[in-house]
Amino acid sequence: MSNDVWIIAEQKEGKLKKVSFELLGIGKKLTEKTGGSLSALLLGHGVENLAEELDGYGAGKIFVCDSEALKNYSNEGYTEAIVDLVKAHSPSILLGPATALGKDLFPRVAARLQTGLASDCMGLEISNAGLLLAERPIFAGKVLVDTIIPEARPQMACLRPNVLPVPEKGLEKAEIEKVAVELQPRDIKATIKEMVKTAGEKIDLTEASVIVAGGRGMASEENFKILEELASAFGEGAAIGASRSAVDSEFAPHDIQVGQTGKVVNPNLYIACGISGSIQHLAGMRTSKYIVAINKDPEAPIFQLADYGIVDDLFKIVPLLTEEVKKLKAQE
Amino acid sequence: MEITREIFWNVGHWVRWPVYGLGLIVIIIFVYGLIKRIRLWRTGKPENRLDNIPRRIGSLFSFGLFHKRILKEPYPGITHLFLFWGFLVLLLGTILIFIQEDLTKLIFGKVFIQGSFYLFFSFVLDLFGLLAIIGVILLAFRRYVLKPDMLDNKPEDLIGLILIFLVLVTGFFNEGVRIAITRPDFERYSFVGWEISKLFASPQESGAPLRTLHATFWWIHLFLAFGFIGYIAYSKLLHLITSALNQFFRSFAPSGEVKPILDIENQETFGVAKLQEFTWKQLLDTDACTRCGRCQDNCPAYLSEKPLSPKKVIQDLKNHLTSQGKNLRLGEGDEEQTKPIAGNVISEDELWACTTCGACQQACPVFVEVIDKMVDLRRYLVLMESKFSPEVKLFFKNMETNYNPWAIGFATRADWAKDLDLKTVAEKGDVDYLLWVGCAGSYDERNKKVTRSLVGLLQKAGISFGILGVEEMCCGETARRMGNEYLTQILMQQNIELFNKYGIKKIITFCPHCFNTFKNEYHQFGGNYEVFHHSEFLWTLFKEGKLRWKTGVEMTAVYHDSCYLGRHNNIYDAPRNLLGSIKGTKLVEMERTREKSFCCGAGGGRMWMEETIGTRINHMRVDQAAFTNASVVATACPYCLTMLGDGIKEKGMENYMAAFDLAELLEKAL
Repeated sequence: MSNDVWIIAEQKEGKLKKVSFELLGIGKKLTEKTGGSLSALLLGHGVENLAEELDGYGAGKIFVCDSEALKNYSNEGYTEAIVDLVKAHSPSILLGPATALGKDLFPRVAARLQTGLASDCMGLEISNAGLLLAERPIFAGKVLVDTIIPEARPQMACLRPNVLPVPEKGLEKAEIEKVAVELQPRDIKATIKEMVKTAGEKIDLTEASVIVAGGRGMASEENFKILEELASAFGEGAAIGASRSAVDSEFAPHDIQVGQTGKVVNPNLYIACGISGSIQHLAGMRTSKYIVAINKDPEAPIFQLADYGIVDDLFKIVPLLTEEVKKLKAQE
Repeated sequence: MEITREIFWNVGHWVRWPVYGLGLIVIIIFVYGLIKRIRLWRTGKPENRLDNIPRRIGSLFSFGLFHKRILKEPYPGITHLFLFWGFLVLLLGTILIFIQEDLTKLIFGKVFIQGSFYLFFSFVLDLFGLLAIIGVILLAFRRYVLKPDMLDNKPEDLIGLILIFLVLVTGFFNEGVRIAITRPDFERYSFVGWEISKLFASPQESGAPLRTLHATFWWIHLFLAFGFIGYIAYSKLLHLITSALNQFFRSFAPSGEVKPILDIENQETFGVAKLQEFTWKQLLDTDACTRCGRCQDNCPAYLSEKPLSPKKVIQDLKNHLTSQGKNLRLGEGDEEQTKPIAGNVISEDELWACTTCGACQQACPVFVEVIDKMVDLRRYLVLMESKFSPEVKLFFKNMETNYNPWAIGFATRADWAKDLDLKTVAEKGDVDYLLWVGCAGSYDERNKKVTRSLVGLLQKAGISFGILGVEEMCCGETARRMGNEYLTQILMQQNIELFNKYGIKKIITFCPHCFNTFKNEYHQFGGNYEVFHHSEFLWTLFKEGKLRWKTGVEMTAVYHDSCYLGRHNNIYDAPRNLLGSIKGTKLVEMERTREKSFCCGAGGGRMWMEETIGTRINHMRVDQAAFTNASVVATACPYCLTMLGDGIKEKGMENYMAAFDLAELLEKAL
């Protein structure tokens, strides 16, 4: 058994997800303790150029499984490819993203390899005994537990996106190894015929690091534009959300509704504009890292939860914020 | 001349035997049909409905004979009463004649329907026969001309009405022609027959043609009457039997009580997938339904254009029972029957649309039970198939982790009381009452204000009470109505242990859902308490002079009845009395009020689900409240307060009206 750490890099339609770099960052840190080397595993079709993007973040080796059969993500196809490689190289630690893909894929892989899996981790380190120490939330985030996988190998874990930083590029070059994938069509029982997208090319709310959300105080659908402007000022990873009353009033589509009966989100920054903060809404965003509330009504319940509150007209404040964010981003 | 009439006059006494023979055949046909249905009901599980026989006989009288519930809708009520009593009296008359002809006269040679009794007999029978005809015509008029939405028409309705009408009319014509021929003066007492007799020829011409006509009417009347009896067990006329049975076997449990799954740890199936998993009474319900539609006319889901109609649910189950009957009896199943009811016979949208408000059951003249069936079918979906919407999943998960619907950390449950001078029962054991705060009262900013008002009122009145603090957890009401009995029982048992630990006997709460569960459901697991809703409790304090209002509050208030306080627990007056006790407050009523109150839309777990079909129920209720021009909607339930408060905001009516809990309004008057 080696001391190597492997990470699965996630790509969708030829674009690498940010979490892939976050995984490389933590993977590198782990190898400093285990003494092994870091490898990344990239799966897909026509993804060789992506391997170069992954390069320079500390991986000693990048395995590229390029195959027509892996063009669309399939649980069965990916599992076959990963299990074969892992069995051949026996890494000590195997990490993946706690995204929709990771949550679907990793349990199957773990079962095949007959090993343990720590899902949805917030932090990863190496214990004094040299084991992977995975920190994961339970009881809806009220308690954090450290999980270890004492016997079985590899020690598997899924990392929650947006928790760890993206490391600096510029480390030594990796060796890129193409891996032949011998997949028969019959290995993949479920095939994806078509991917139907919801309106627009928006990022998934639950993966957004910044959410700018509007409530009934937005007064109309057009006014949501100022929220979009603010979100785009934050750049990639920012999205807009809405409260139920805004959705009911048809200011915003249902798929961006945040709350008890919508999406439960967990961004680094949540900006609530014209949202009074009914408990149903708070239930969907109360675990956000920083909450900023803009509301005319100082009595609005949202201020009870917000880290920063602005009691003023949102139509005055939001454009000002957009300008400031743009300036700050320009400095970066 | 002797004052009586000759039975079998004109048609000949020999017909007695063929008529009785025919009668016997008709009765066999009727009994055969009835037994077939009884055998279908018996495929259900056992359930004891034979307790408290005197009260059961009482309900047969008040709700059957005297139409107590049927009369709540005056038009169909009174007309049905006419038809019912007309038919009953004619039946009794026929039985009297039968007794005379085949017992007293045959054996003892005694005729008792004669003299002044004959005159009385004739008058009464004619009167009730006439009432029955008026009834049947007005009912047909309602069904086919007025066409209320609550009625749907099937051939059996028309056949039934025509049969009844023709039986009655041919009876009267038969009598009329007989009188036209014999013309005794005393028959003036048979006043309908007397008038009809004038249509026919004078006594001088009373020859063969009239006698033939009489015999014709006689035979037609006989065949129609026999046809009617034979038709009973094969049509909706069976309600003559089943509705009465249902009134007899009705539930005496509080309507708010949902029955538990007992010994849940050792069950292998949960809820109802197939007909045989219902009890026999639940199956009898489907046959007792007359499709009168009062349920659907009061159902908030139906009225807000959801796919649910309680009438349709019961009828779909009935049709399923009929079509699967043979397989059920033989214990065999074809593919249709093995498919679970939820999702196949009753759609999932129908099942999840129910707010368990109980308006349907309250309106049903024959006591068909709907809520238990809904919960049983949901239990199957939730506990057997894990089939529910993402919102419901989130609700269950939140309940499991933090014992409240929002998964807010349970350690913060008592944060609302931080700056109040309040003790938990753990800190101070010797209190008279437990103030149960509930999830909304603990976590929701809007309802926290109600909790604070209530605490203020109780402290003002010098009541000795404590709270459970962070140890309190959801009472389990909503999870039960959403079909998650397992989760419910965990919550209930944990709370009961907590109550036992602190020796709690008396509970005050401002949430009717918690109130109903403690009062009517906790006994299922050995928890018996004296439970007070704050409206009752505060009203008692006011009556005893422990609370006094110092200032008046100028407002026009409309009180919205919570389903679980009003319909399910019969508390209608205490909240109104309290509002009325505030000086300057004018109390007005909505059209749908008291037992006909319209749900806010949040019961039965609907609070936690998206309402995507039809009109929002809370918007409809806000409209109804706005119609009274009241500036304050007074509520006595955290769900109602949230739903109506949101509804007022969503409809942009904040400047005209606002929703408050009773306790908040009373605090203003302190």
